[in-house]
Amino acid sequence: MEFIDYYKVLGIDKSATADAIKKAYRKLARKYHPDLNPNDKEAELNFKKVNEANEVLSDPEKRKKYDQYGKDWQHADEFEKAKRANSQGRSRSSSGYTYSHAGGSEQDFSDFFESMFGGASSFGGRGQKVRFRGEDYHAKLQLSLMDVYTTQKQTLTVNGKNIRLTIPAGIEDEQTIKIKGHGGPGIQGGPAGDLYITFSITNNTAFKRDGADLYKTVQIPLTKAVLGGEILVETLTGKVKLKVAPGTNNGTKVKLKGKGFPKYKKEGEFGDLFLTYTVDIPKNLTEEQKSLFEALEKTNLA
Amino acid sequence: MKQENYISVKTFCQHHGVKESFVYSMYEFELLQIDDSKEEALLSTDELPILEKMVRLHKELDINPEGVQAVYHLLQQVEGLQEEVAALKRKLDRFDL
Repeated sequence: MEFIDYYKVLGIDKSATADAIKKAYRKLARKYHPDLNPNDKEAELNFKKVNEANEVLSDPEKRKKYDQYGKDWQHADEFEKAKRANSQGRSRSSSGYTYSHAGGSEQDFSDFFESMFGGASSFGGRGQKVRFRGEDYHAKLQLSLMDVYTTQKQTLTVNGKNIRLTIPAGIEDEQTIKIKGHGGPGIQGGPAGDLYITFSITNNTAFKRDGADLYKTVQIPLTKAVLGGEILVETLTGKVKLKVAPGTNNGTKVKLKGKGFPKYKKEGEFGDLFLTYTVDIPKNLTEEQKSLFEALEKTNLA
Repeated sequence: MKQENYISVKTFCQHHGVKESFVYSMYEFELLQIDDSKEEALLSTDELPILEKMVRLHKELDINPEGVQAVYHLLQQVEGLQEEVAALKRKLDRFDL
């Protein structure tokens, strides 16, 4: 377990007065407050560290204990032994500076804190948690692009409750959907919080996606670019035969209508597939091919 | 109107230990709606996430109602920008950089 220097966290001196601690805490709390830093995991973590530091240093008894043990943290063995003797039956892995994340702005503590001061239960809220409505839960769900090509029904288990979820086809990467009333229970008759699910969609297909449109680069041989012909192109739903016009330029774009991705919440509607042709210039010519090109050159072909 | 989806301003303030004038100033600044057609002023529970956030800013960070209003507008901008950045990132993904 790592020692945490709470003085450093608050950026103050070991001799700081209670007033200076309060000031430093409030300054940092304003900087990292989760309500002021939406969707910022780092700020959230910092906020927890700052809160924890304040929890210890603003309480004279805790501060005294911390100062005493803190400086001898290198002799952690003895401390650990003493701790084991003191608090039996606490089963919690203690490695590194980890936080058990409960979501929302719920207070939780590092292993270091818990091993020194016990769980958060030893001191109830200090009037910090402002809520009547239940806590909002945030969850992340990972799906592959092909998973969201069709509408999916999935059952999620959140805090022991099963939630049946319909994931509409065409949902975006990092899109969040709200499921009303499936967050934490309200306090004293307050309404329950909501459950937010953010989808993380991994694309391991050959297609790039932008909304409902798909993009792909297709290589065509030089001869087909010059003379025209047919090629087979893979789409998400199978191969299609395409005509390449004679004299097709490198970088030519072709749109295949309706061969893209399903449009979100518009059943039966699809985006388009855009193909970009790149002409494959042959490199390892046989002697015969080379002389044919030389003959072409002599015809003054531009 | 379903009664269960409303909470009186008074009850809300008792729960949160906040003055009713704070809630009314949020209403005045058009950050939320208050239904005052009844005997008791009511808040829709749909307003609670925003209002509770504002109460936290007010109480935990000592931000006054005017400051809370400013923060509210800036937060909306930040969230709008975050969405825009996410959309642009998805678009950028099309190009191999």
